[in-house]
Amino acid sequence: MNARPDSPEPLRKDSVNRRKFLLRLGITGALIAGSGLAARKLWQPSHFVPGFEKVRGAQLRSYALEPDKLLPSLAIAHGTDHEKTVRAAMGALGGMDRFIKHGDVVMIKPNVAFDRPPALAATTHPDALRAVAKLCFEAGARKVIVADNPINSPTGCFFKSGLTAVASDMGLDLLYPETNSFAPLSMDGEILKEWTFFDAPFKHATKVIGLAPCKDHNLCHASMTTKNWYGLLGGRRNQFHQHIHSIVSDFALMMKPTLVILDGMNVLMSNGPTGGRLSDVKPMNTIVAGTDMISVDAYGYEHLLERDLAELTYLHKAHDRGLGNIHWKETLHKEVTV
Amino acid sequence: MTRDAEKKYGGGGRKQFVRTRVPVAERVASAVLLVLLAVIALAIRYKGAHFDPNLYAVRTDSLKSTAAAVQGKAGTAPSVAATGIEAAQSPATAVEKPPAAEAAAEGGAEAGTEGGSATVSPVVVKGEPLEISLPGTKPMGDTEFYNSDNLFEKIDGRAPAYQSFNIQGLRCRSFGVNALPGSYVDVYEYRFDNPIDAFGMFALERDPKGGPLDFATDGYSGEMGYFFRQGAVYVQIIASDEKPETLALARAIAQNRMKALPADDKGLAGRRQLPSAGLVPDSVAYVPENAQGLSALKDVFEAKYKFNGAELPFFLMVSTPDDAGKAWKSLQDFCNQFGKSEALPDVNGGKIFRAQIFGKWKVIYVRGGEMGGAYDADDATQAGAFVEKYLRGELK
Amino acid sequence: MKNLLKLRNVRRVAQVFFFALFLFFVFVTDLRYLKGYPVSLFLELDPLVSFATAITTHTIYMGLMWSLLLILPTLLFGRIFCNWICPYGILHHFTGWLLGKRRAEERERIEANRYKKLYSLKYVILIAMIAAAVGGTLQIGWLDPICLFHRSMSTVILPMINLFFPSSIYVRQYFHVGAWAIGFILLFLVGMNVVIPRFFCRVLCPLGAFLGTLSTATLWRIDRDPDKCVDCDLCLKNCEGASDPHTQLRKSECFVCFNCIEDCPEDALSFKFMPSLQREVTAPAVPGRRAFLGTLIGLGFYAFARTSGASDRNYDKKVIRPPGSVEEKDFLDRCIKCDQCIRTCPTNVLQPAVLESGLEGFWTPILNMKLGFCEVNCTLCGEVCPTGAIQRISIEEKTGTGPFDKEGPIKLGTAFFDTGRCLPWAMETPCVVCEEVCPVSPKAIFSREVTIIKRDGNPITLRRPYMDPALCIGCGICEHECPVTDEAAIRVTAVGETRSRDRRLLMDGGVTSAVTDLEKRQR
Repeated sequence: MNARPDSPEPLRKDSVNRRKFLLRLGITGALIAGSGLAARKLWQPSHFVPGFEKVRGAQLRSYALEPDKLLPSLAIAHGTDHEKTVRAAMGALGGMDRFIKHGDVVMIKPNVAFDRPPALAATTHPDALRAVAKLCFEAGARKVIVADNPINSPTGCFFKSGLTAVASDMGLDLLYPETNSFAPLSMDGEILKEWTFFDAPFKHATKVIGLAPCKDHNLCHASMTTKNWYGLLGGRRNQFHQHIHSIVSDFALMMKPTLVILDGMNVLMSNGPTGGRLSDVKPMNTIVAGTDMISVDAYGYEHLLERDLAELTYLHKAHDRGLGNIHWKETLHKEVTV
Repeated sequence: MTRDAEKKYGGGGRKQFVRTRVPVAERVASAVLLVLLAVIALAIRYKGAHFDPNLYAVRTDSLKSTAAAVQGKAGTAPSVAATGIEAAQSPATAVEKPPAAEAAAEGGAEAGTEGGSATVSPVVVKGEPLEISLPGTKPMGDTEFYNSDNLFEKIDGRAPAYQSFNIQGLRCRSFGVNALPGSYVDVYEYRFDNPIDAFGMFALERDPKGGPLDFATDGYSGEMGYFFRQGAVYVQIIASDEKPETLALARAIAQNRMKALPADDKGLAGRRQLPSAGLVPDSVAYVPENAQGLSALKDVFEAKYKFNGAELPFFLMVSTPDDAGKAWKSLQDFCNQFGKSEALPDVNGGKIFRAQIFGKWKVIYVRGGEMGGAYDADDATQAGAFVEKYLRGELK
Repeated sequence: MKNLLKLRNVRRVAQVFFFALFLFFVFVTDLRYLKGYPVSLFLELDPLVSFATAITTHTIYMGLMWSLLLILPTLLFGRIFCNWICPYGILHHFTGWLLGKRRAEERERIEANRYKKLYSLKYVILIAMIAAAVGGTLQIGWLDPICLFHRSMSTVILPMINLFFPSSIYVRQYFHVGAWAIGFILLFLVGMNVVIPRFFCRVLCPLGAFLGTLSTATLWRIDRDPDKCVDCDLCLKNCEGASDPHTQLRKSECFVCFNCIEDCPEDALSFKFMPSLQREVTAPAVPGRRAFLGTLIGLGFYAFARTSGASDRNYDKKVIRPPGSVEEKDFLDRCIKCDQCIRTCPTNVLQPAVLESGLEGFWTPILNMKLGFCEVNCTLCGEVCPTGAIQRISIEEKTGTGPFDKEGPIKLGTAFFDTGRCLPWAMETPCVVCEEVCPVSPKAIFSREVTIIKRDGNPITLRRPYMDPALCIGCGICEHECPVTDEAAIRVTAVGETRSRDRRLLMDGGVTSAVTDLEKRQR
């Protein structure tokens, strides 16, 4: 019997030509070989224990400058105008160009943890950011990055605290904490060994300035320039409260900034760190700038929050660990009034 | 189907065609495959039998990491050595187990007993075995040792009384009568902190019907046993039956212990004087100096007595006649300073005065080297009567 | 005798052998009998499992290398798996033979085995599943035959046998939440063999589709000699794969069952090496648009399910995974819903989830402490998991002893007291069974004594239990043994599980040493 009515062409007996034969053999052989090789490459011959993997995180480099023997390491400026007082404080330190050189990419870390209007002093004041950014550009900075990982929603926090407007006005690079902005960080802290870190802003940064408001804090008594670095961590930070003083002192190990500035023009005296009433805010009209966050915080706690320094456990811990000098009076400092 | 085919093979359900011509290659392939199946079966059987037993069992040397106890987290048998709050809220659940504090002090933490404790160890009370070498007897069993806390395990309800006299420990052992299998003598040596306390306990349990002992001043023979105090030790020798051999052995042992234990009667002079009749248990106090606020009153024994329905505090001091007299005088002067005193007629060689100060009555005597009396009494008549009775020797 | 040594008969022997082997493995997956038997062998041989997990995890986990043993013959000979080895296929073959048109007219049987366009559905299903895998979720378990059959056995068939013959399978009866659905699905699929022979295999099986795709490159196939053929169509009478041996053989559908060779009265069919391409349909017949639709469905499934949030912060507290499980997103990349872990669990605590872990987690294992608890020194679930959704951890790794002393134990979750339901807390009644059975030392449940005056005026001294979350491993025996059996006064929830960094409860520096006291730096 030959062709069926529905077949396209006459069916002949086998006459597979050599080329097709080899081609087919080759394809099948390649498939066999390919699957074998792929399997061998992907093979995971042993198990792991989930959750116990050793994560190798990156290490954060230091952004601090060499300590200067002549110029002060702490400056306190009193005044009523935000920008003038910031300038005065920086001037007392030797000017922003002591720290920022031409072409630097500066990362300014404000504290915008909550979506508060600036008058409530729970976040970095936009005038402070404006002043510091201006000084950076005047010193020749190529780019100024502003970034924080807030507790409330990032877009809301930056917007309502007035920092989004400053960033767009001055052409600052505002970086939100996006899904892929984090990477593991390794450090040998007292408690913190490895944690997920907001590293996107640091990819190109050459200098880091911490710009923190001066606030009461319900758990660790104060949130100033040391606690400001909390905002660089991701993951389940809500566990930190179980060892808050050790962890805040670990921040002094984690981050070695070029400069920290404590904005004490309006201080949140009570109901911190969130605040919420104007009655919680007191104008202290002071800007403190320095290279040692422990010294700056020591001044801030005693003179701006007007409290007993003995209470501030994290500061003493950090001092005892050699991460800063709590006795700011013994360091080279300068106080000016505008 | 074509018509021809249908004619040949069509219709019906049963298959009509069976292939019979099977090429050799197919037969060979079939055989190979069957063998392959058999090999697979064998391989699986082999795999089933050979496996790592650690998959299903806990490796014992892995348990070595659990050898050390975890600090800071108490085990289920709560440790009294832990925080006071914990102890207050969780007294020992297993009543039979002694608190760990004592055990820890003894040293040597051993692995948990069936109580499953993390840090408590059983009490190991150590001491020198009670060895008695006498003819006709051999020890039955080992020496038992008890301290204040676990004493009740041996003597049950009598323990609190012993604890009130500050017992330090009990050492006891049984000795068999060689001639009489089944007969034995129990020896109990209760060690106290000082002879006064030993005497106190001895006096408390004293059997008034007991006979005197020729070899022990503070001692008596009772039913089936000998009881005495030597030094700070209160000894009980108890026979298991009244057979002559057993009783003889008991006596021999008693004398042996009397000789073996060191004598010490320090401070007992005053204590012995205190009458037992009506003595309120546990009320005996020893005040070494400045009794009742007076420097002349030293080595004073105070006790309370039930006398004619009321409680009467009584004290006495044994010393040289000179010192006793001085003490009596200074107390009288003291009473005159703050109240009134009057002399009472002498009774049986004892000089007496009676005084009332601060609303309470004192009846104080002095006789030779002994002075004392009733004090802080509400009723002058009763106080006086007690002292008179005492001086007359009517209170034993 | 000579006539019996034919490939078709060897195939029958192989069918009996592999089906019996499958049943043996299923039965022996029990602590009493398990020993060293490779009870997940069929799953490890399953090429779709290794292929799909390779896509989602970029690895081939341990025993899945065995699938090469199947891929190679398939690339050479075709879908021999489907009729020689696959136990589910054998079940359908047998059911079809049992319930099908045996004595019916030959004509009906021949018509039933012609190829239908419906049979391209399995390729669309396969494409959808692969698309979902590329997206990042493993969903082959719904319809992969080995997974399906293992799941049906574990959750339905074995408990059913045990119901009718008590203690034949389990010591005490096992229960599985939602087993009725799995049972009815099985019944439906097996019953459909009455309507279409090998319904599942031809219409739905994604593994068959995968093997059919691989079969495109085979060097051997059933070949029809057109000169000998008389067009009687008798080869179709027992054709399992509906592969049209009477015209151009559809290579991707042929099950290599050799029935057609036996049935051909003219001896026109034979198993040939590289016969003409013109007498075959080489590739599966899948219309392009259907394929595209399949891709969309697969990607859509991944996206819709994932954005529903069940595997992220909105995780259900009841999604407590077996010990050794990987983190949730990775778990959904690996779990093939074979329920082998559920089969082997000695306490019946493992249950097939329904929607607790979202749509992706359907029929994946979660712990239900009302039915059981996780026995401390047991790692059976990890032993039998073929894909590493539950890693093959050792007992030391699970309990944090021996060389794993520093890391500490694996925690499944944390127990929390509901003191309003607890006997000593709320009902003046002594209890603390929970403290008694807590298996860790020091215990994670400790109690404090308190004396209260009862309602009747008499005092009672009670022990009231408290939880120490640093020590709790979430095993659930406290919840299981709590006398308040309808809703226990102590319940385990997933927070604090060590497999996930996001779901930790206690801060410990980022590493997991649960018993280490950070202040004193000692265990």
